[in-house]
Amino acid sequence: MLEIGLSHYLVLAAIMFTLGVFGIFLNRKNVIIIMMSIELILLAVNINLVAFSAHLGDMVGQVFALFVLTVAAGEAAIGLAILVVYFRNRGTIAVEDIRIMKG
Amino acid sequence: MPLATLPTLTPALPEIFLAIASMLLLMLGVFSSEENNTRTVSYASVLVLIVAIPFVGLVTEGRTVTFGGAFVTDTFAVYIKALVLVSAATAIIMSKDYLKIQGIERFEFPVLIVLATLGMMMMISANDLIALYLGLELQSLSLYVIASFQRDSARSAEAGLKYFVLGALASGLLLYGMSMIYGFAGTTSFDTLANIFHDAHGHVSVGVIVGIVFMLAGLAFKVSAVPFHMWTPDVYEGAPTPVTALFAVAPKIAAMGLFIRVMVGPFGELGAQWQQIIIFISVASMLLGAFAAINQTNIKRLMAYSSIGHMGYALIGLAVAGTAGDAALQALGVQSMLIYLGIYMFMNIGTFACILLMKRDGRMVEGIDDLAGLSKSNPGLAMILSIFMFSMAGIPPLAGFLGKLYVFQAAIQAELYALAVIGVLASVVGAYYYIRIIKVMYFDDPVDELDRGISLEMKAILVVTGVVIVFFVFYPVPLLTGAESATAALFHK
Amino acid sequence: MYIAAVFLPLIGSLIAGMIAFVAQGAVRAEDTERKKRLDLASQLITCGAMLLASVAAILVFIAVVVNGQNGTVELFTWVDSGSLEFSWELRGDTLAVLMVTMVTVVSSMIHIYSIGYMSHDGSIPRFMGYMGLFSFFMLMLVSANNLVQLFFGWEGVGLCSYLLIGFWYDRPSANAAAIKAFVVNRIGDFGFALGIFACFFLFDSVSYDTIFSEAAAKSTATMNVFSGEFHALTIICLLLFLGAMGKSAQLGLHVWLPDAMEGPTPVSALIHAATMVTAGVFMVARMSPLFEYSDVALTVVTLIGASTAIFAATVGCVQNDIKRVIAYSTVSQLGYMFFALGVSAYSAGMFHLITHAFFKALLFLGAGSVIHAMSDEQDMRKMGGLYKLIPATYVLMWIGSLALAGIWPFSGFFSKDIILEAAWGAHTGIGQYAFWLGITAAFLTAFYSWRLIIMTFHGESRADEKTLAHVHESPKVMILPLVVLALGALFVGILSVDYFVGEHTVEFWKNSIFVLDTHKALENAHHVPIWVKFLPLVVGIGGIALAYLMYMFAPELPKALASGFQRTYQFLLNKWYFDELYDKIFVKPAFYLGRGFWKAGDGLLIDGVGPDGVAAAVQHLARRAAAMQSGYLYHYAFAMLLGVAFLVTWFLVAGA
Repeated sequence: MLEIGLSHYLVLAAIMFTLGVFGIFLNRKNVIIIMMSIELILLAVNINLVAFSAHLGDMVGQVFALFVLTVAAGEAAIGLAILVVYFRNRGTIAVEDIRIMKG
Repeated sequence: MPLATLPTLTPALPEIFLAIASMLLLMLGVFSSEENNTRTVSYASVLVLIVAIPFVGLVTEGRTVTFGGAFVTDTFAVYIKALVLVSAATAIIMSKDYLKIQGIERFEFPVLIVLATLGMMMMISANDLIALYLGLELQSLSLYVIASFQRDSARSAEAGLKYFVLGALASGLLLYGMSMIYGFAGTTSFDTLANIFHDAHGHVSVGVIVGIVFMLAGLAFKVSAVPFHMWTPDVYEGAPTPVTALFAVAPKIAAMGLFIRVMVGPFGELGAQWQQIIIFISVASMLLGAFAAINQTNIKRLMAYSSIGHMGYALIGLAVAGTAGDAALQALGVQSMLIYLGIYMFMNIGTFACILLMKRDGRMVEGIDDLAGLSKSNPGLAMILSIFMFSMAGIPPLAGFLGKLYVFQAAIQAELYALAVIGVLASVVGAYYYIRIIKVMYFDDPVDELDRGISLEMKAILVVTGVVIVFFVFYPVPLLTGAESATAALFHK
Repeated sequence: MYIAAVFLPLIGSLIAGMIAFVAQGAVRAEDTERKKRLDLASQLITCGAMLLASVAAILVFIAVVVNGQNGTVELFTWVDSGSLEFSWELRGDTLAVLMVTMVTVVSSMIHIYSIGYMSHDGSIPRFMGYMGLFSFFMLMLVSANNLVQLFFGWEGVGLCSYLLIGFWYDRPSANAAAIKAFVVNRIGDFGFALGIFACFFLFDSVSYDTIFSEAAAKSTATMNVFSGEFHALTIICLLLFLGAMGKSAQLGLHVWLPDAMEGPTPVSALIHAATMVTAGVFMVARMSPLFEYSDVALTVVTLIGASTAIFAATVGCVQNDIKRVIAYSTVSQLGYMFFALGVSAYSAGMFHLITHAFFKALLFLGAGSVIHAMSDEQDMRKMGGLYKLIPATYVLMWIGSLALAGIWPFSGFFSKDIILEAAWGAHTGIGQYAFWLGITAAFLTAFYSWRLIIMTFHGESRADEKTLAHVHESPKVMILPLVVLALGALFVGILSVDYFVGEHTVEFWKNSIFVLDTHKALENAHHVPIWVKFLPLVVGIGGIALAYLMYMFAPELPKALASGFQRTYQFLLNKWYFDELYDKIFVKPAFYLGRGFWKAGDGLLIDGVGPDGVAAAVQHLARRAAAMQSGYLYHYAFAMLLGVAFLVTWFLVAGA
């Protein structure tokens, strides 16, 4: 029987984190995907925190995870709001088009 | 035995005050008459921020922790908070005309600045990773919104979006680093972390090191240090100018304060490990700030690169603070950095006040070429902007020169000669673009005149900052003693 | 009170400066009415501030000198960096307070005079602002309680002097004179700064109190200079004296002062006669606790002082520009003060400084009054016969000249007398040198003073008719300050001689001047042979008599002498060829060197590597740096990730 230990959680979180980061800079089409990638990163962190919390037998990690969840919700709301404003102005949310300012 | 005891609230009095006040301000905005509620709320917000300063100043010495050790108040926090409050208040004052011209007079604007300030104060006083994160996010979320506050402008929206995405990524990195540190050190409290690393004598697990690097990256993003600076020029250019003025000062100073507290607090014993990294990002920031600004035509974008460079200079102080095992030298580094930040605040507020006065036919302009012939049409403004530019370039005897002198001196004391030499060379290159602005004002053929007429508030801001910059050399003591006692709080626990 | 005395001039000058640079900038050219009002406002404010400051200074003087209080005021800490710690302070001992009083009183008289003198000028507020600023820096200089504040004032007065010499910036000669003054002073200031550094090196402090109290303990210390061991205090004193030589125009570094007469006459009176040029004398007296321990330095001071006195007096005899005659006379009188200091008769030197301030300011302003009357003519060969037309000025010039020549009971008599007696009383070879040169110079002083008076006021008028028709007595606003100064020239000496150098000298100076017990020149000065006492007066009268003989009764005699002793005359007329010498030794080679650097260094090296090299590289880097900022979100995110990856790798490979 395979025992699921701390390291498995950490590897999972690391993979999710990497996926999230890659999602941000490999995707050139849609900002929504970036939003999702950000959520993925935060979730990876949460897995980390909860796993450590369980491993250490310390509640702080889980409390931290709850805070992160809350903030993530606020962040998503604000992100989408900004995205809506952007769409109204430009009529597009393609990542490639977000470059009025450069240099 | 009671289930829980109420924590002591007095150390967090200013934060509690700001939190309650911000909600009252929102109500004030809703319930006051539609026409001038922005004005009312703006003035009320400025009042709130100013009233918060004496609250902050209640702490004169010593160190108080509360909320289970997650929140700390000491003279260091007082110094940084005072700078942050002053710069946030001036940003609101300076926004008044701008909002009207751009047609974005909405009372949420000052309230959001108050909320962001609250976040900054929380993170300055953070003594726990959770508190740090919450403060940082409160600040960031408010700032994302005001960056895109001009909703009908594609540039403002793009600035907000870029800032949001990259900021969220940076928070992700920071959080990931925090989770690693929590897992491998077993605590989120700064004090416990410091003790653990102290007992470990600098030998820590790879997990902690990875965690520190990720946290460093997240913090470096907030102070826009190279290579985490990429958002800065675009956001500065796109955001409404008073927002840029705020970005350039308050969050930078707050994040620097946080950076110092994290680095010399919990990770103070690991200086040997992170000093090299700080040196690297400091050098990279100074050089990029100097070179990338040269060909800029938009003055806000130029100021973005300028602030990247200035953060590089300030980080020299942090690099000195990473010298292992020499508390006096570390204190010198932090002190020089705090002085630098204080001077930086005055220079930037003044410069942005000048930028906010660049109007033609009632519309804002922000090209450097638009300044041509300003010496003829408005000699007073040209003169004071020249003072700020000379100070930024580090021309003696202005305050900007002395700020640089302090950090370079600290670097020399710490035998970081290369850092000091690169700093001097970078400021030579940087002087080019600051002085170019003066050249444009005084020697280029005048284009259409900029509007005259400076409101009383702007005049007051210009005069005060100008006087500080010019006369600092004669009376530097208030800033020096402030920085000294702030530093003492970090090193004598 | 002390603070008011020092800072009121600053406030006045700042307001005047605002009027000059901000308010008048906004006035349209045709709106003369408004411009006049602003002019008047700047005059009233600066003069009012100066007058109030002098009242405050007099009150401080009474409190400190008469009532014996300690007037030192600490304003706030200035620098606190390691062992280098000092404050902004106003020193409240007799020496400082005396200078503050003199500066404020003379300066306010000259301020008032300027209202009349500059009435036709186009930029009055600027002038008044500069004058006020100068007064502030001068007060800072004399009231300093540490060497850095002294240096602050020292450089500040140098700056103002530069600005005021070049006040009429549309005249090339004024600009050249301003630059010359600045450059020559720089040489002295370089030595002065080195002296301050050496002082800090030796005493680990720049504060007067520390330095003075430790001077005795360090009197045998040595200092390593260019791998040779030298007596430390001698090095310090000589370096400081180099600064004094520049500022006080002593032989070698005197060349700037006569040229400085390009500035408006009130400037010449205030800066180049009464106050700034005496800063060197003041500084040496201030530093008496150091100079006392270095016989070498004192000898050098005496030698330079006495040589300057005679040099300038000889040159003064042949000058034809009325202001230049007085300028050389100033240089000569400064020489007197210095050799008094050199024989340890500091109080005598200071006494002469004070009396000289009054009568020299009087002479300059009188000369200004003449120039004003003559429609800006300064050449004495084109004057003559003016005494009936401007009688008040004539009388005042007489008073000033009598004081300068040292005729009893005018104030110059007392101070010059005691200096010469002290030189005799030093009983040293160098003292004798100074005494005899001083006597000769006194003779020449009287001679050229009356040469000036006779050429200007007596004989046939040599002016053209147009000028002559315009000659008028100066307005009251100019004459009144002259009367006040004349009163000073008349009574300051006779009233205060007992306090400065006589029986009350100890309680007057208290501890502000330090003299070793072995240096008895001043004491011996009271017991010199009777002929030594009377010789200065005799030669003074002799000089006057000779001037009358040569210019009044036998006017062809000077011409005959000039052609008879052609070479001597030319030598004197060209001021001992100092300018030519410096031109040959320093200026020309510097030009050659500069041209060489320009052609070879700049042209080939800098331009070659520069615009095409460094500058191009910078441009290239700038473009590259900006190009990195592509605008794409994913590039930005990628840069951040690369950064993290790089840092983690570095940490794991190099850090841990």
